[in-house]
Amino acid sequence: MGLKGNAAIVGAAQYRPEKYATAPRMFHLEQVADLAGRALADAGLKAADIDGLVIHGPQFHEAQVFVPAMAAEYLGLSLNFAEVVDLGGCSSVAAVWRAAMAVEMGLCQAVLCVIPARMAPFGPDEDPSWMARAMRFGGHSTAFGAPEAEFDLPYGHMGQNTGYAMIAQRYAAKYGYDPVAMAKIAVDQRTNALANPDASFFGKPLSIEDVLASKMVAEPLRVLEIVMPVAGGAAVIVASKEVAARARNRGACITGFGEHLYFKSPTYANEMTDTPIGPAAERAFAMAGIKRSDIQAAQLYDCYTITVLLTLEDAGFAPKGEGMRWVREHDLTYKGNFPMNTHGGQLSFGQSGTAGGMSQVIEAFHQISGRAGERQLKRCDTVFVSGTGGVMSEQGALILQGA
Amino acid sequence: MSTNKPLPTPTEISAPYWNGLKAGRLTIPQCKSCGHWVFFPRRHCDKCWSQDLAWKEVKGTGTLYTYTLTRVPTLPDFADEMPQKMAVVELDEGVRINTTLIGVDESEIKVDMRVKPVFDTVSADGTTLLRFTAAGKDMAERIDSTPAALAAAAEAAASAAEVADRRQVRFDDEAAMKSLVSEAYSAWSNQIVVDQALIDEFAKLSGDDYWIHTDPERARKQSPFGGTIAHGALVQVLQSRLRIPLDYEVVGFNNMVNYGSDRLRFPAPVPAGSRIHARTRVKAVEKLPKGMQLTMEIVTHVVGSERPSVINDLVILYM
Repeated sequence: MGLKGNAAIVGAAQYRPEKYATAPRMFHLEQVADLAGRALADAGLKAADIDGLVIHGPQFHEAQVFVPAMAAEYLGLSLNFAEVVDLGGCSSVAAVWRAAMAVEMGLCQAVLCVIPARMAPFGPDEDPSWMARAMRFGGHSTAFGAPEAEFDLPYGHMGQNTGYAMIAQRYAAKYGYDPVAMAKIAVDQRTNALANPDASFFGKPLSIEDVLASKMVAEPLRVLEIVMPVAGGAAVIVASKEVAARARNRGACITGFGEHLYFKSPTYANEMTDTPIGPAAERAFAMAGIKRSDIQAAQLYDCYTITVLLTLEDAGFAPKGEGMRWVREHDLTYKGNFPMNTHGGQLSFGQSGTAGGMSQVIEAFHQISGRAGERQLKRCDTVFVSGTGGVMSEQGALILQGA
Repeated sequence: MSTNKPLPTPTEISAPYWNGLKAGRLTIPQCKSCGHWVFFPRRHCDKCWSQDLAWKEVKGTGTLYTYTLTRVPTLPDFADEMPQKMAVVELDEGVRINTTLIGVDESEIKVDMRVKPVFDTVSADGTTLLRFTAAGKDMAERIDSTPAALAAAAEAAASAAEVADRRQVRFDDEAAMKSLVSEAYSAWSNQIVVDQALIDEFAKLSGDDYWIHTDPERARKQSPFGGTIAHGALVQVLQSRLRIPLDYEVVGFNNMVNYGSDRLRFPAPVPAGSRIHARTRVKAVEKLPKGMQLTMEIVTHVVGSERPSVINDLVILYM
C-alpha cells in the first residue's frame, strides 16, 4: 500500500519571513506565479513541465471558489490534476503527498504545491479593517450553526493559545511538567536559526532564562513558546523520476506519508494528550519501511513548544510521558544528536500563515540536497517532517529520502 | 442591555439545551439505540449514527478534564473575567464541555477535581451559560451576571470603600496640598454600564451619530471591534457619574473653577454594554497668584482592562 518513492521534491522557493506591516503587498495570483517561477528556477525546470497543482484554498484573496482554475488560467498552465487543501498548518505536508500520489498514479509528471501568504493590495472599496475583523475570533467560525460559534465563543474559548495551553496543562497533570525542558526546545531551535540568515530571529540569541522570563499568555505557555505570525509564502515542485533526473538538485523522494484527523476542538478528542500524529507517523514509517532510528533529521511542526513535545512522543521518537526528560538528554541543534527544526523551526523562523509548515518541508529538502549552508548536516538522506493544523486536530507526516 | 461578548445563537437542533439552561436545568441528548450521550447536541448519535435520540436531564456533576488561566484575554471583551479560568469539564455521563470555572481561587484549581454546574444568566433576554465550580463550594446554583447586576454589586463594594472621616486639607496650605501628589492611584469608583441606549442619547445630544457608535448591525459586520463603541467624549463626561473614593477633602476655599484639561486621551475603546469604572491621583499642585491649582489625573477603564479608555488631566483652581 502507498507510495513507492517514485516522486520527489526537486525545487522549492519561499519568501523570507517579514512583518505584515512592511512586507510587499501582492495579489495571491501574483504570488503563486512568482513563487512557482522561483521554484522552477531552483529545480532547473520550465513551466511546460508542470501538469498538476495543489493549492491552499481558504483565504485566497481573489476568489473563494474555483481557485485552481483561476490559478491555472493566470499561470498559463494546462493541468491533469488540480487539488485544494484546507488543513491549516497541515496543508503543506498534505499538499506534498497528494502531489506525490498524483505523480505515482501517472496523472502528472510535475506538480506545483503552492501557498501564498503575503497580504494582497487593498482595492478602493476594500475596508482595511477586514483583517482585524477576521482575526477577532482567531480563526473560529462565527457562522450560524457552527458548533464552536455556539458552544465555545460565548465562554471565551477561541484562537489557538488556550487550546494548546489546556493540552499542556493536562499533560502536566498526567505526566509532570518541566518548564526548563520546554524552554530548551525553543532555545535549541534558536541556535539553529542563528545559522540561518533567512530566519526572523537570525542574529538574536535566546537563553532558557529569556524564555522563562517571557510573558505568560495562557498557563503554562509563555510568549516565547508561541510562534510569531509573519508574511511569507512558499512553493515546492514534486516531480516524477524521469523529470527529477533532469532537475538540478538531488531530489527528496516521498517514500512515506500519513494523515489523521477526527476532531476540530481537542476537547472532543478521545484523549487530548494522544495526538493524531501517532497514527499518521505509524503509517508513514510502515509505508517507507524504515525505523525511527533511521531518521537523520526531524522537521516537526512547531506552532508551540508543546506541539513539538507531543510530536516527539506520539511520532515515536521519545517514550510516551518521558518527552521532557528526553529533550533534556538530547541536543536538538544541527550540531546535536537529534537534529530537529534545523532552520530554526517556525518559532525562530517565523510563521507565515498556512505556508509556515512549508518551511519544514523545504528545510528537509535543503538538507537532503546539501544546500543548508552553515547548518548543513554531514549526512542527511532520511528526514521526518510533520504538519499540524488547528489545535492538534489535523496532523500529517512525511518521510523524505534522498534520491 | 447589550453586551459585546459573543453570545450563543440557538438553532432548531440545540434550542432544548439552551432553554434548559435558562430554566436552570442541564439537558443533553442520549442515543436510544446505544445509550451514548451526545455533546454538543446533534440530530444523530456520533457513535452509532442512529437518529433516535432523547433529551435527558442530568445532574451536571463531573470532573475537571483540563484548564488554563489566561494572562492575556482571548478577546478584549473578556478583560473583566481576567484571568479567564478556561476549562474542559467531563460530565459523569462521559461527555466533555468547553466552559469556564467560577467561584474558585486560582490555587484551588486542579485537573481531575470534582465540579458542579452553575447556571449563569449573562444577558437581559435570559441567555444562560453553563459554568462550573468546585463540588465542595457553597455557591448559588443560579447566578446573575448581566452587566446591570454586576454593576449593582460593584456599587455596594464602592460604597463600602468610601472613607467616612476624610482627611481635611486647606486649599491654601501649600505643603499639605503638595503632599497629595502621588504616583499611586486611588481605589476604584462605582461601576456603570455604558449601554446602547446611553450611547444613542449622547449621539442625539452631541450630533455625533457616526455608525460605529449607533448602528449595532453594521458595526457587528464592519467594525474591527465587532460591535458599536461609545464616543470617547461620552466616556469622558461619564466621569461625573463615577464616585471615586478619596481619603482626603480640600476645604476652606471660596470658589473652585474647572479650568479644563491639560491632556485628554482615548487610548482604548469602550464597547457598548461594557462596564466602566475610574480612579484618580493628584498629578501636580502649583501655587498661583490667583489661588492653588491642582492637576488631577482621572483614568477610566473598562472593568478588567489594563489599558485606560480615557485619560483626563483635569485642572482645578481653588480660590
